[in-house]
Amino acid sequence: MIKKILFKGHLSSQFVFATAGMLIGLTALLLSCQLILDVQSFHESEQELFGPNSIVIQKRVTKFTTLGANSTDFTPEDIESLRSKPFITDIAPFQSADFKVGISEVPGDGLPHFYADMFFQSVPDRFMDVKDVEWEWKDTTDIIPIVLPRDFIMIINYGIAQSQGMEQISEELMLAAKLKIHIEGQGKKVKQVGRVVGFSNKISSILVPEAYLSYMNTNYGNARITAPNRIFVTIVDDSYRELEDLMDEMNLDISKASIDVVKIKTVIAVVIGIFGLASALIMLLSLMGFVQYSQLVLSRAAYETKTLLRIGYSVSAVVKSFLSRLGLVFGVITGLAVLTMVLVKIYVVNIWLDDNGIHLEESGSSPTVVVGLITFLLFVLANYLNIRKTVTRLGKE
Amino acid sequence: MNPLSIQFENVIPAPLADYPTEGQVWRCGLKLEFPARILLNASSGKGKTTFSSIVYGLRNDYSGKVLIDGKDVSTFSLNDWILLRRMKLSAIFQDMQLFPKLTAWENLILKNNLTSHRDESRIEQMLARLGMAERKHQLCGTLSLGQQQRIAIVRGMLQPFHLLVMDEPFSHIDEENAAKALELIEEETALNGAGYILTTLGSRHGKQFDREVNL
Repeated sequence: MIKKILFKGHLSSQFVFATAGMLIGLTALLLSCQLILDVQSFHESEQELFGPNSIVIQKRVTKFTTLGANSTDFTPEDIESLRSKPFITDIAPFQSADFKVGISEVPGDGLPHFYADMFFQSVPDRFMDVKDVEWEWKDTTDIIPIVLPRDFIMIINYGIAQSQGMEQISEELMLAAKLKIHIEGQGKKVKQVGRVVGFSNKISSILVPEAYLSYMNTNYGNARITAPNRIFVTIVDDSYRELEDLMDEMNLDISKASIDVVKIKTVIAVVIGIFGLASALIMLLSLMGFVQYSQLVLSRAAYETKTLLRIGYSVSAVVKSFLSRLGLVFGVITGLAVLTMVLVKIYVVNIWLDDNGIHLEESGSSPTVVVGLITFLLFVLANYLNIRKTVTRLGKE
Repeated sequence: MNPLSIQFENVIPAPLADYPTEGQVWRCGLKLEFPARILLNASSGKGKTTFSSIVYGLRNDYSGKVLIDGKDVSTFSLNDWILLRRMKLSAIFQDMQLFPKLTAWENLILKNNLTSHRDESRIEQMLARLGMAERKHQLCGTLSLGQQQRIAIVRGMLQPFHLLVMDEPFSHIDEENAAKALELIEEETALNGAGYILTTLGSRHGKQFDREVNL
């Protein structure tokens, strides 16, 4: 009955505009949240485009380096300085083999006869872009897992194989065949068996598990390598400018592909950020619209509000009546916004991205729903405070 | 018995500050003890509505001190007043203060719902005694002033109270109906072990009161 007194059935233009504003603003805000989530959680293993922002850095080789005047090693001071950069969130030097390595085919395994000198390196597992492969190594492991740069197989097939009259090797054959590994160091020689388990797009090194390399360096290392010359760093989004400055400062060499990824990610983050900001602004305007609407309803029902308080109704009872109606409106709008966001994403954004060759992996929507929920609570709280203040003022008149 | 005391200490409402006063209330020391039936007499413009509003906590534009049960009302919060209005103080306003978009019955139930003070059959009985039984489903906004006044009188009694403040409650009612209404009010006041203050322009409505105060 209190609602019947307080809401006199007028639909004001404020209410219509505020409702439309909240619906559009919240849908856009949720959509930007969901897109940011999708972009961030995009790991399509080897097809990675927007993966974690991990890049390999090394010092540029100059004519002075060739003459021995400067070194491409990273000193402990260099590493410490990198670690202290706020835009670098993770850092790991490459570990290099300190012994001689050669590989050849295992006869009868399908590969043509060959022998090549090699150089092993390893990085912590968290930086590996080849996932879901058997990568663990213990001293009881018979076959050593190896990850090759994808370019490596291209060089073999379109370079070495043709010039040396060798057969070309498919990725499948490479993955199926075993390799013989020839180790030489500390005056000892040993032969081991390895297998290629995957190809990396990001790391142009021949990778073996970290545990294996540490073990081998201890047992066969010649103590010639003391400092790392390649380092893996993870940088935060939108840090393209900082990365460029760092390259100049430390005379770094970073692959163009890595830089491009950072650049694309920065641009995408900025675009989505602007979109999100605009939607937050629309939401703020709609919040103001609702506050105005409740002011209007309250001023139209000023006599009724005062009278209810005069005959003994509490401020909370009156506020609750106002708020339960608005809360219902906000709840419906939030629900509709989540639904619209899902539909727009499935039927518009995803199709558009697909048409443009970008395949986003679906990520969970719960954080987006939480954003919707927080917005709902924010609207309820702002209106609660406003209504309570006005009702109390009317009660004191 | 539900005792309650009201004290006015040198009170003068702001609108009357520039005028001379001669009664027993303004710029005086007045103590009213309830349960008692008090008639507050004054001609127009002497501040009857102001007095009722001060007692009921609707006005604070005065100087001096007002005490209810020994407590200075200037220290009361809005919630204190609301609680007091729900459990101890009831009022019948001169301008009725009904909800015009609700029916007479809805207006009464809205008030009764707060404390479930009277059952529906008793409310219907009260309406019948004031000749309003047939009008109960009519929107209050469409009732005559006299009819609205009778609804407001019934509403004033649908809560527990120690004191009923009535500000010219019979101004739109003929003497016969006023007498019936006052009879009902006295009955309900007695049932509550309470008292009342009745402000009038001079009419005693054929009744005797415990005390008469001139403004």
